[in-house]
Amino acid sequence: MDNFVYFFTFQDLSILYVVIGIILLGIGSAYVGTYSFLDKKALLGDAISHAVLPGICLGFILAGEKNPVYIVTGAFISGGIATFLTSWLKKNTKLSEDAIIASILSVFFGFGIVLLTVIQKSGNPEMAGLNHFIFGNAIAILEEDLWIYGGLAVIIILSLTIFQKEFSLLVFNSDYGKAIGYPMEIIRFAFNVLMILSVVIGIQAIGVVLMAALLITPGAAARFWTDNLSKLLLLAALFAVVSGIAGTYISFVLPQMPTGPWVVVSLSFIALISFLFAPKKGTITRYFSRNQYLKKTNNEHLLKALYKNRELGQRMLTIENIYELYPYQKKEIKHSIEFLFKEGLILKNQNFISLTDYGIHEAKRVVRLHRLWETYLTEYMNIAPDHVHDSAEKLEHIITPELEAQLEKRLNFPQLDPHQENIPRD
Amino acid sequence: MSFDQNAFLIILTGSLIAISCGLLGVFMMLRKMAMTGDAISHAVLPGIVIGFFVAGSQRGLEVIIGAGILGIIATLIIDWLRKKARVQLDASIGITFTLLFAIGIILINLFAYNVDLDQECVLYGEIAYLPIDLWVTGSGTILGPRITYLAVLNFTLVAGFIYFFFKELTLTSFDESFGSVMGIPSKGINLALMSMVSYTTVSSFEAVGAILVVALLVVPPATAFLWTKNLMPLIKLTTILGIGISILGYYLAYLFDSSIAGMMVTVAGVLFLLSALIKGRSSKSAGTSMANI
Amino acid sequence: MIIQAESPVLEIHDMTVSYDQSPVLWNIDFTLPSGQLIGILGPNGAGKSTLIKAIMGLVNPTGGYVKVFDKPLEEVRSRISYVPQRESVDWNFPASVLDVVMMGTYGKLGLFKRPGKREKEVALASLDQVGMSAFINRQISELSGGQQQRVFIARALAQDADLYLMDEPFAGVDIATEAAIFELLKKMALEGKTVVVVHHDIYSAMTYFDWMIMLNLHLVASGPKNQVVTEELLRKTYGGKLNLLSKVSELVRKQDFNPLEH
Ligand SMILES: Nc1ncnc2c1ncn2[C@@H]1O[C@H](COP(=O)(O)OP(=O)(O)O)[C@@H](O)[C@H]1O
Ligand SMILES: [Mg+2]
Repeated sequence: MDNFVYFFTFQDLSILYVVIGIILLGIGSAYVGTYSFLDKKALLGDAISHAVLPGICLGFILAGEKNPVYIVTGAFISGGIATFLTSWLKKNTKLSEDAIIASILSVFFGFGIVLLTVIQKSGNPEMAGLNHFIFGNAIAILEEDLWIYGGLAVIIILSLTIFQKEFSLLVFNSDYGKAIGYPMEIIRFAFNVLMILSVVIGIQAIGVVLMAALLITPGAAARFWTDNLSKLLLLAALFAVVSGIAGTYISFVLPQMPTGPWVVVSLSFIALISFLFAPKKGTITRYFSRNQYLKKTNNEHLLKALYKNRELGQRMLTIENIYELYPYQKKEIKHSIEFLFKEGLILKNQNFISLTDYGIHEAKRVVRLHRLWETYLTEYMNIAPDHVHDSAEKLEHIITPELEAQLEKRLNFPQLDPHQENIPRD
Repeated sequence: MSFDQNAFLIILTGSLIAISCGLLGVFMMLRKMAMTGDAISHAVLPGIVIGFFVAGSQRGLEVIIGAGILGIIATLIIDWLRKKARVQLDASIGITFTLLFAIGIILINLFAYNVDLDQECVLYGEIAYLPIDLWVTGSGTILGPRITYLAVLNFTLVAGFIYFFFKELTLTSFDESFGSVMGIPSKGINLALMSMVSYTTVSSFEAVGAILVVALLVVPPATAFLWTKNLMPLIKLTTILGIGISILGYYLAYLFDSSIAGMMVTVAGVLFLLSALIKGRSSKSAGTSMANI
Repeated sequence: MIIQAESPVLEIHDMTVSYDQSPVLWNIDFTLPSGQLIGILGPNGAGKSTLIKAIMGLVNPTGGYVKVFDKPLEEVRSRISYVPQRESVDWNFPASVLDVVMMGTYGKLGLFKRPGKREKEVALASLDQVGMSAFINRQISELSGGQQQRVFIARALAQDADLYLMDEPFAGVDIATEAAIFELLKKMALEGKTVVVVHHDIYSAMTYFDWMIMLNLHLVASGPKNQVVTEELLRKTYGGKLNLLSKVSELVRKQDFNPLEH
């Protein structure tokens, strides 16, 4: 708890620097990553982040120490070469994109490892700091680092905000952009530069191996909550910032822990929550709304059964009769009876069940939709009258009043359905 | 230079690993699953660490089992994300491997105090120590370097797998739906291939490291693909490249006093880029102009 | 207008197919006669490929069933052959023409067995039938579109089936080749095989096929060509999608799950 208070009250200026750094980094990479996610190029970020390793090592060798300017420049150059090679290979060989990305990523990383072992054997005492670039250590961000990493992050955020229109054109409709006279090649180039920059600023805090997560996961998670681009960007940034701070806090409390893995674990946790529980798109949400829907269909089927019986002149059914109609759904039917009773759609008289006026109205609606759809299927889609029932059985529950009106109009307010049954109206 | 037994053993082991990876890599590449291979090789890390913790050493069968399970879990998570949560494929891959790899690193840092697990060895491998890591029987007989035995076993299994399922692997790589139409269990073949990739990753990680396995998986097949038009030549050239990069990688690493595995990958990368320069534009334009006849 | 065939080779019963949330085929129901050349007509996106994939079990219907030779698909797989759309594979795959055609024999070979001399002979004979004997060692990316199409047909022939389903085998094929392939298909039909072909051109379809299926998300017509190819039915097939049907599809898509699946 003491740690918690100490960390979050920012008594220690260096912690403040770290947190500011992480926030800027989170927003910048989430922005860039969301665009590249929408562009279906998420893995290019992965390739770039592995590919900056040799640049970092060369920068270190040239500077002879952990100088942020040398390292950032080195990383930027090798990230740039990797990006260029990826698109060159795509254009000029028969290799598919995934093979190219995997090759570039692993070759650059392998070469980086060679350089790393060379540095290791040279016995440079600052070597330990270099290891931080592989898995990240946000706590090691110093004020001088903040100026560079933070400054670059601000540039990324500003560029993407100011040129939101251009970059969304790139992602959603590049050909159209070209047709209406936008310099799409330059925009693509600018975007690649921003992408490399966002990787470069992340390597200190997150590390090269896991940087891909900060680019990919926030956008993918945010996509479950909204379809609107601006909201998507904000939400992605929020996810990245929250996980960034969580990861930093953990490696502050447990100093032997690198930051990157904890940021990734928190991010993935947020993503998992999104995949499961986001309204509309979450798997669990979908599961529940499906259950809800199945209950609704059971209720409406029961109403229909009661109504059809009425058409045959029988005003009520016993519960046993109903169970006989749906022999495999006893439990569901019991729930439906209770629900319909509570809603005032049916009356229960000892063992006998009958529709209320309101119930008759509702039942008529469902039967009407069923029979209208059956009529539509036979008249407009040439489907034999003995095959239309199943489809109508499903669609009667979702047809909206507007669609009902259109059906009525198109079919010219028919009296009878294909089975010569009356289409009931109030 | 006289015959150097250590050099020979290291090169032999390196070649066997490179060939096993390359053979599987050919099919991963043709199925456009190179990045899934990359994801698997990152994702086995927590399995290695847990296996290590359970067994108390890097040598246990537990390590191989743990990593194998994680490799398959990774493909299942990717599949779940794609089909059930409806996340696009590239993002599913990215999310899965970064998460599993992060968990692996966290576990290493948690257990590092209890067991002697060398983070760098797991990640980058150190084939150079191979000659001193010997397999000794209970009665004290020395049978030779342990990792070489692992590589031989791995190579035998991979070669056998590809030999026996050659027809199915080829057909489902080229045209999966035609395969299913003919009653070939394409899902099963796919899962078997993924399992072989995970097993190969684990079997090789001590020598070349979990991350560099990817390079051996993708780069030799991609290089060979630039030079060949048929599957058999592609496989043969991949094999030759595997041996070539082991030999060159070993001596260059010796020369520069650096990581052998890293140098093997660097050599593979140089060969790859040279091939792309030589064959690049010409092969592509030939392909399209021929297709217009 | 839907005319049922007597003793049909293929029966589709009230089949509905959706991709995730989008219904693509609505309540398809027809039967096909044996030993005939059958054309599937319909505009782009009408669900022609989907229909073929559903028959082959490559997509699962959300309702209804398919029976081939009066049996479920699984029991008669080896008697059905499939020619997918040319774009469905990557032609850069490292294989020669002969390699690809040999694949047609793999189904009968079974697990672990390797193709041998007999399989090679079958493949060579099939290549001869489509006039591709001169290209057996060509790498498949070095073929023209029409030649690739013929390789796919040869692969299907090598399977030696009784029912052939071909998805746009004439796309990108020149007129002379189209006529030659069509002669071949006619010969197959005369030998008692049933050949179902997705085709895009109504005029040539009228001369090629005996029986027509007309599709536009739902089945517009199925029957002998001179009975079903009428101006009215053509208009129904090509005159745009049914407005209400599109609206219902939209409604289905808006749900949180597919209500057509139960
Ligand atoms: N795998 C798929 N996932 C989602 N939608 C698909 C898929 N394949 C086809 N569709 C959609 O289904 C409809 C019918 O496609 P298809 O059967 O290919 O039509 P056709 O072959 O008649 O041109 C199209 O609207 C298409 O966009
Ligand atoms: Mg089609």
